[in-house]
Amino acid sequence: MGTSPDGDLVDVDGGDLSGPVVDLVDGFAARVHADTRWTVASEETLVTMLEAGDLDLVAGGITADTPWIDKAGVTRGYRGIDGADGREIVMLVPLGENAFLSALERFLDEEVGG
Amino acid sequence: MRETGQFGRTTLPPEQQRAIRGAVRWEIFTIVYTSITITVIALVVGESQAMRTAWIEDMLSLIPQFAFLTALLFVRRRPTRKHPYGLHRAMGIGHLVAGVALLAVGLNLAFEAVLGLLSGEHPTIGTVQLFGQTIWLGWLMVTVMAVVIIGPVFFYGPAKSKLAPVLHNKLLYADADMAKADWQTTVASIVGVLGVGVGVWWLDGAAALFISLGIIGDGFRNTRAAIVDLMDQRARTYDSKHPHPLAADIVRYLRSRPWVAQAAVRMRDQGQVFHVEAFVLPHRRTVSIADLTAAAEGVADLDWKMQDVVVIPVEHLPEEADTGR
Repeated sequence: MGTSPDGDLVDVDGGDLSGPVVDLVDGFAARVHADTRWTVASEETLVTMLEAGDLDLVAGGITADTPWIDKAGVTRGYRGIDGADGREIVMLVPLGENAFLSALERFLDEEVGG
Repeated sequence: MRETGQFGRTTLPPEQQRAIRGAVRWEIFTIVYTSITITVIALVVGESQAMRTAWIEDMLSLIPQFAFLTALLFVRRRPTRKHPYGLHRAMGIGHLVAGVALLAVGLNLAFEAVLGLLSGEHPTIGTVQLFGQTIWLGWLMVTVMAVVIIGPVFFYGPAKSKLAPVLHNKLLYADADMAKADWQTTVASIVGVLGVGVGVWWLDGAAALFISLGIIGDGFRNTRAAIVDLMDQRARTYDSKHPHPLAADIVRYLRSRPWVAQAAVRMRDQGQVFHVEAFVLPHRRTVSIADLTAAAEGVADLDWKMQDVVVIPVEHLPEEADTGR
């Protein structure tokens, strides 16, 4: 997993991550029986790692207007996340990961609405 | 000179008038139908290159209808001193424009598909929420493509291909031909999307390439057919496959006149009607104007497509002219 600090969505305090987005991703990982290992870096670094296969998911204050659309699979936008302030928050997955993307979107639909 | 008194008369016999009205109705139906399918496909097009290619092909398929309807406005005009041959060529120009557009966009799409394949672009198709249900967008794509194919393959494709020979209209024929071949696009895009669904990422790009090759083929065929007609190739049948049999009919008719020894024609396709120059070698050195006029009228009466006929007495038949043998 990769993330960048973003206002109320993702809070990085030392080695500890918290915030609604982090909770969501942890919840999803629990659903698909996966462990989460977080990498905190700039968005560009995260996307590069995603492309290289070092990350499975990038989440944070990324909105539906993200410029990474050619480099990553992008989920639908979700406004219902706490702290989103009306922004349409998306998450990034590696290109071509259709089943993973669909599972993630199904989970987000259930948790934070469409 | 009753009928040939006016060059390029533009009135049509009842059968052709009915066919024209039918063709216009089908073209308008096609435009409405295709506009709807373009909108619907736009909603599901997503990240699939195959879907995008099929979508653009749908937009391109509108060009022949607009070309046909626009050209129709012109070909109906009577010849004038400024345009002594009438404006029949408008149909050929429409045909050329449609062909070149298909060719250019087809090449561009093929290039994009190859580029995507070479760079290993993995298309990502997620889900959508429809009536509170989360479903995979791929299923929607497949459904939409399977539904929109009904129009071209079962309705307007066959209808237009019945009208094209009646009207001797190559633009309409090409249009019908493309509509009938549309099922290939549909099958390819469905295969591409389902391929992505089961993890075969390159099937999408391969399907896109297949579809764009089809567009290039259509563009090439249409461009070539339009150009050779505009270059005054001898008139051929509506599908461009054979020399038009009317040339031989004209020669046979002229040879059956008692005063004619030999005959040959130069006949070019003006788009919907033919321009006919008939050369006759008379038995004697004098020819009566009444005979010439009657012969020109007789030729014009052979078929509705020949409204622009001149009969020229000559000493030797030109070598290039068609002797119907």
